Amino acid sequence: MTVLTTTKAPVTVAPARRRQPGRGNPRARRELLAGYGFLVPWLIGFFGLTLGPMVMSLYLSFTRYNIFTPPEFIGLANYVRMFTDDPVFIKSVKVTLTYVLAGTPLKLAAALGVALLLNYFTKGSGFFRSAFYAPSLIGASVSIAIVWRAMFGTDGPVDSALGLIGLDLGGWVGNVDLAIPMMICLTIWQFGAPMVIFLAGLQGIPQELYEAAEVDGASSLAKFRHVTLPMLSSVIFFNLLLETIHAFQVFGSAFIISNGSGSPGGMLNFMTLYMYKRGFADMQMGYAAAIAWVVLIFVAIVAALLFRSSKAWVHYAGETR
Amino acid sequence: MFSKKLAPALGLGLAAALLLTGCGGSGSSDPSGSLDPNQQITLDLAFWGNDVRAGMYEEAIVLFNQQYPNIKVSQTFLGFPEFWEKRQIEAAGGGLPDVMMFDYSYLRQYSENGLLLDLAPYLGSTIKTDGFTEAALGIGVVDGHTTAISIGTNAWAMYLNNDILTATGVAPYPGNTSFADYDAWMDQVTQAGGGTVYGGQDWSGRIQNFEIWLRGQGKDLFTDASEVNFTAAELKAFWEAGQPGRDGICVPQSKLEEVYPKFGLGSGLAATELTWDNFGASYLGDLGVEQTSLAIAAPPIYRAGAQDLYLKPSMMHAIAANTDQPVAAATLVDFLLNSEAVGAIFGTNRGIPASATQLAGVNLDPLSQKIYDYEQSIADRLGAAPPVPVVGYGTIEEKFRVLGTELGLGTITVDQAVDQFLSEVSHVLNS
Repeated sequence: MTVLTTTKAPVTVAPARRRQPGRGNPRARRELLAGYGFLVPWLIGFFGLTLGPMVMSLYLSFTRYNIFTPPEFIGLANYVRMFTDDPVFIKSVKVTLTYVLAGTPLKLAAALGVALLLNYFTKGSGFFRSAFYAPSLIGASVSIAIVWRAMFGTDGPVDSALGLIGLDLGGWVGNVDLAIPMMICLTIWQFGAPMVIFLAGLQGIPQELYEAAEVDGASSLAKFRHVTLPMLSSVIFFNLLLETIHAFQVFGSAFIISNGSGSPGGMLNFMTLYMYKRGFADMQMGYAAAIAWVVLIFVAIVAALLFRSSKAWVHYAGETR
Repeated sequence: MFSKKLAPALGLGLAAALLLTGCGGSGSSDPSGSLDPNQQITLDLAFWGNDVRAGMYEEAIVLFNQQYPNIKVSQTFLGFPEFWEKRQIEAAGGGLPDVMMFDYSYLRQYSENGLLLDLAPYLGSTIKTDGFTEAALGIGVVDGHTTAISIGTNAWAMYLNNDILTATGVAPYPGNTSFADYDAWMDQVTQAGGGTVYGGQDWSGRIQNFEIWLRGQGKDLFTDASEVNFTAAELKAFWEAGQPGRDGICVPQSKLEEVYPKFGLGSGLAATELTWDNFGASYLGDLGVEQTSLAIAAPPIYRAGAQDLYLKPSMMHAIAANTDQPVAAATLVDFLLNSEAVGAIFGTNRGIPASATQLAGVNLDPLSQKIYDYEQSIADRLGAAPPVPVVGYGTIEEKFRVLGTELGLGTITVDQAVDQFLSEVSHVLNS
């Protein structure tokens, strides 16, 4: 028996030449240049107005800088001062965190509640959707902040209305215990933007899921808990992330309501307002830059925590666990 | 170094960056030149105030142009805080207006950084100084250089609302008492006011009252060398002395928070307020009352016979060091400071004119007459002016005010306030 052995020559496949756009092809090269040409305005904006100032502010945060004289490098002194020798900053952190941690969930709860109602009652929903959305558009304006200040002052509409039901709280604007609740009321009132997103999310939940739940005898609460919430979790996460970051940036309304002072008793002296005052009123630009970076780090930490926790409670369509 | 492709891109980027940042050359001219009547000149004039003051400046500029038709004056005005925010940014960019209204508390900062024109070459010639006293001219001197001239003077005073006193039936505060006696007097008004009006507001919340408290003991807030000239114990004693006022005599701080930036008197809550004597016009506007409704008295005093008060520039005029037209700017400053006609237009809107020439043109209305009489009446209490305020005095003054509000709200203790204030002062003086 003859054994035939064949030796297969290894097949080598020549790697396909990667076409490098623009190389050796005049038309592709023109397109590449055109592409970069269209990018130039954005690149100028990114490098000149975002990255450049960010790098500069990072550098300034390690300096003592009063605008008039050149920055003087002082290492970490601004950061050390912030956490060891500036009780006003520590208070501004507490005030900001209180506002973010209390205001954001309440605002989202209001947004979800109204979105559920609008999703259930379809009659006139277009009107109500617009009506509830409007405060989101104007809520951050100067005029609304002025109105808010008047509404929550002594003998203002809120004080008078609460007086009618026996709650004689006086003015909220000058009350250290009620100033933050007043700001939280203002942010809750602007629930329109997350509400619209919730509404879109609710309308995207397949009806079959509710029908299947009904066949299984699920109550309304059970359907909300086991169908709506899981199916809406990605939208909740999106809104939570967006609104949390937004809450950290509160400035205009606090500035107007407190007339730029952060009063009463520093209860409206949010980190952003404090940063502004240190920079533009006190001319301590280095210190203000350091505060700006601490705000950024706070936001980054909170965002990272949210992303990390999302693995446990956010469900995406088609995802299996 | 750069590839052929990168070089044009970098060039384009650099051009764009220069365009975006508004970089460009600036011209300069010889500051010692004389004014050419045929040369068309434009000057920027910036001041703080309101529509009323802006109208007055407009009238004054019309008169100026009758004499100097070749000098166009472009004027802008803002509220006080915004005015300084804008100046600070302009100062950083080298774009200060040619002629500015100037505040005493910023004088050292701007002068020491070479941002203001040394007026020495123009004093006595382009800017006439005959009408000014030596003391008035000395106010604008920093490190031997005159960089600003006082428009008007003012002094620390007490305003009284006669309408509240009439309604409560309490005799007007007589002035020159001890601080404790002032508290007792305020208490009478507060008791009679029944919770709607009060005798005054916590005087320990203003740094000027701490200053006269210290000057009553023969000390200034800061030394000539910009060092702190008081102890923590002295500050603590001062704030503790204000405790009776915070314990029910004065307007509650929570009420003042609602009316801020007005204070007690301007909001109609308080019968008295310690403030600068040229603030009368703004109180009239805030309260909407006649001039007879306001009276002025001397503030309380730490020690009888002390020379604790002083005349300070209510506001000044200064010229930017980088002006292209120093002679024209000096000519405008002279007109605004010395012209009788300008005095007639402004009255005491900018304080009692520091220039006797301008004062001659002022027709004193009843309130202005009270201010003028008040400044004459405190001659025995007037001492030497303190050193020009330290760099960053505005920050220190505001910190003192904010800590005063926190004491009033009960959110900090006196010891904490003292610690915070001294820490802030230390940071400001070292920056």
